[in-house]
Amino acid sequence: MKKKRAVRNNKPKPILFGEGWEVIEQGVTKIKRILEGLPEPPFTCEEYMKIYTRIHDMCIQRSPHDTTEKLYTKYKEVIMEYITSVVLPSLKDKHDEFLLRELVIRWSNHKVMSKWLSRFFSYLNRFFIKRNSLPSLDEVAFTCFQDQVYKETKGKVKDAVISLIDQERGGEQIDRGLLKNVIEIFVEIGTGKMDYYKNDFEEEMLKETASYYSRKASNWILIESFPDYMLKVEECLRKEKDRVVHYLHATSEPKLIEQVRHEVLCVYSSQLLENEKSGCCVLIQEHKVDDLSRMYKLFSKIDDGLCRISQIYKKHVTVEGTTLVKKADDVASNKEAEKRVVVGLQEQTFVREVIELHDKNMPLVNDCFQNHTLFHKGLKEAFEIFLNKTVAGSSTAELLVNYCDNILKKGGSEKYSDEAIEQILEKAVNLLGYIYDKDLFVEFYRKKLARRLLFDKSANEDHERSILTKLKQQNGAHFTSKLEGMVTDMTLARETQADFKEYLQCNPRTNPGIDLSVTVLTTGFWPSYRSSDFHLPFEMTKCIQAFTEFYPTKTNSRKLTWIYSLGTCNITAKFELQTIELIVTTYQAAILLLFNDSYRLSYSEIMSQLNLADDDVVRLLQSLCCFKYKILNKEPNTNSISSDDVFAFNSKFTNKMRRIRIPLPIVDEKKKILEVVDKDRKYVVDACLIRIMKSRKVLNHQQLITECVEQLKVFKPDLKLIKKRIEDLINREYLERDSENLNLYRYLA
Amino acid sequence: MEEEEAGTMVHTNFYCHLGNWGILKKLEQWFIPISMSPWKLGEKAALQALKANPYVDMIVVDGISLLCTDLQVDPQDIVMLVVSWHMKAATMCEFSRQEFIGGLQSLGIDTIEKFREKLSYMRSELRDDQRFREIYNFSFGWAKEKGQKSLALETAIGMWQLLFAEWHWPLVDHWCQFLQLKHNKAISRDTWSQLLEFAKTIDLQLSNYDEEGAWPYLIDEFVEYLTENGIVQRPQN
Repeated sequence: MKKKRAVRNNKPKPILFGEGWEVIEQGVTKIKRILEGLPEPPFTCEEYMKIYTRIHDMCIQRSPHDTTEKLYTKYKEVIMEYITSVVLPSLKDKHDEFLLRELVIRWSNHKVMSKWLSRFFSYLNRFFIKRNSLPSLDEVAFTCFQDQVYKETKGKVKDAVISLIDQERGGEQIDRGLLKNVIEIFVEIGTGKMDYYKNDFEEEMLKETASYYSRKASNWILIESFPDYMLKVEECLRKEKDRVVHYLHATSEPKLIEQVRHEVLCVYSSQLLENEKSGCCVLIQEHKVDDLSRMYKLFSKIDDGLCRISQIYKKHVTVEGTTLVKKADDVASNKEAEKRVVVGLQEQTFVREVIELHDKNMPLVNDCFQNHTLFHKGLKEAFEIFLNKTVAGSSTAELLVNYCDNILKKGGSEKYSDEAIEQILEKAVNLLGYIYDKDLFVEFYRKKLARRLLFDKSANEDHERSILTKLKQQNGAHFTSKLEGMVTDMTLARETQADFKEYLQCNPRTNPGIDLSVTVLTTGFWPSYRSSDFHLPFEMTKCIQAFTEFYPTKTNSRKLTWIYSLGTCNITAKFELQTIELIVTTYQAAILLLFNDSYRLSYSEIMSQLNLADDDVVRLLQSLCCFKYKILNKEPNTNSISSDDVFAFNSKFTNKMRRIRIPLPIVDEKKKILEVVDKDRKYVVDACLIRIMKSRKVLNHQQLITECVEQLKVFKPDLKLIKKRIEDLINREYLERDSENLNLYRYLA
Repeated sequence: MEEEEAGTMVHTNFYCHLGNWGILKKLEQWFIPISMSPWKLGEKAALQALKANPYVDMIVVDGISLLCTDLQVDPQDIVMLVVSWHMKAATMCEFSRQEFIGGLQSLGIDTIEKFREKLSYMRSELRDDQRFREIYNFSFGWAKEKGQKSLALETAIGMWQLLFAEWHWPLVDHWCQFLQLKHNKAISRDTWSQLLEFAKTIDLQLSNYDEEGAWPYLIDEFVEYLTENGIVQRPQN
């Protein structure tokens, strides 16, 4: 018996399109009603499943009932129909803000619609669309809106947005949220790319911004002062940034700011900076730190901005410095006939004022100009320009030395505290950094230091050492080696003197009976002093002898050369009414001692006794009988010394002091110092050239000069000097010219 | 006596060596034994040479006069400079035996007639740029005092007048004037040699002169002198 299995005839009945669509249609209608805001409950799960399933079933049907393609087409039709019948009409006659509002709503609705429809039709995505490489449901929906709605309205929308922006710029309140939403449409419509945003909105927006600010700026420039103008610039930049934050796309910020900055700042930058009444120069002059800081910040963002400001700055500082120079020059030339003291005072004032100028400018550079190298450079170059001029006939190196001398000598700076002095010295050394003739500074400093040390005029050894340390830090050990040697010599000299005293005690027969104090100087460190064939008074010869015998017992193989011109002597003078102790130089003492044996002496007698040159003798005699203290009488009683004069001891001299220093005016050795420095420079340049050629072997003329200038730190070499030294080296056969190329030099070993 | 013998021996050797040069007779005339040299300055150097090598002979002032007479040439004629150059003479107004004989050999001269003929060739050598330069540079060492590094100004001016008569340089007179006015010191070798380069390369308007180039300082000053005194109008650039 065969069992017959009944096959269920479960083949579903094919759904016809029209029939199937009914269900779907219901869903579509429901969506539309929701979008229109009509009362409609949201989709339930079942409703959704019903439509989805219906579509699903229709899709899996076999031919001739497979309606997949038709469904796909219908999907698009639905959307298109809605757009054409509802959306577009709603937008058609609207403008401005109304248009924007409507569009926002419609776009939002469209997104909702497309979301739901896609869900319903999502089965299509799985096989049909993929298999046929068709645009996805989302893409279809999107493209419909883009082609039909966006393209139609974008122009008007853009205009409306821009107009609202301008209104807000004008000060009106606008609906920022609305703008944000509209602008988001421009972004979203690009699906990841910003092309639509840029082309359909941003471009025009930027243009309009530019023209808006161009109008504004052209107004402002006429009425506002530079500081006020800058405030306006700051404000509008801030507002535009704010605008971006609230409704523009972030990518617009740099372009927007750039446009604004260009119109309000770049276009007028020169006019602003160079404004006579309130421009950059004036702000610096009046030290308006806030305005300057603002200016720095704003102009740092434009091309060349800082460059131009730094140039104005440099020029300004140069002018200020040059004015100080001129002031000093004027005083000097006016007071030509008057005392040296006044000129000296002006020199001190000059240095002090330059330091003040520097102090005033450092906070500008550090704070307002935020330590930018351009401004450091500008300041440096400005100072270099005016500090390397001659001031009142002297080099600034010399003036600086005199300034330091004033601080370091006794009575110079008692009113300042130690820290204050340290600061002053620091600032003085700082100024040296700008002066080219540093070697000149060392020479003058040496001379002054020698006087301070030898005549016991130095106020404080710590300060002396401190300034040397600072100089060393700035310029290297070699720079201060001689100076330090001098200071050390003084310490050693004290030890030697103590030993000498001991020696005298142990060897009474050598004791000359006069208190002798000797300072031994190391020749290389100290300035060179000319020796003379001075006839030492016999009272002193025994003293010298004693020391000359003592010294070899201390150190061997050293030659002592006595410089009597630097000595000091305390001499007791018995006048008729008083006995006064006179503090004089050795030379002055020698003259006075002559009057122990003779009542009257002529000029020539004095000169032959002393064996000194005329200018020395004149100076010495002047100090003793023409100035404040008349220790000697002169016939005739004029104020100048002539070779016919006769001198006598002024026994009638009195003074309320028991002890007087008779000063001897210092000879101005400026010329001699300049000669010494010039000579040294030749050696320095020679050594430098040889050093360079030795290592490079072959070098052309230009490069040799350039390298030489670079290597010489202690002074700025004159190009002619270098050329002459090169020739000299060729003559001395250290170098030769190349026979082919006359511009080339070769080192000869 | 020994000396004389030795001298004779040298002569004899000499003759054997040279064979039948017709010039030999003349040679005897021109060469003067050292002890009879009347030229003071040469004497010290010559005495030193004598100590080193007693058999070296020199042609000095008298000998040169004789030589010039035989050659039918003025002793101041520039061709004598060229002759000296060929002979690599160390100092003007004297030839050592070595220099003289060596020079004759290199010139291929063995009779006085040939010597005279060669003179016109030597004059023509001055026309050649390279040769002129060599002779010009040679003349510095030749004209200066023995043992000195620089050339006395008077001598230098004389030499320049002589040389630039051959190769014409329009500024030579201004140069000499300038030196006498502003410099008044001896001339270094470098300045000497560079002057020729200056004369050859720099145009008369000085338009291609570069102060920042490697020209000697003295030439820089000369250019300044020319422009300051309006002698040359430099084009402004």
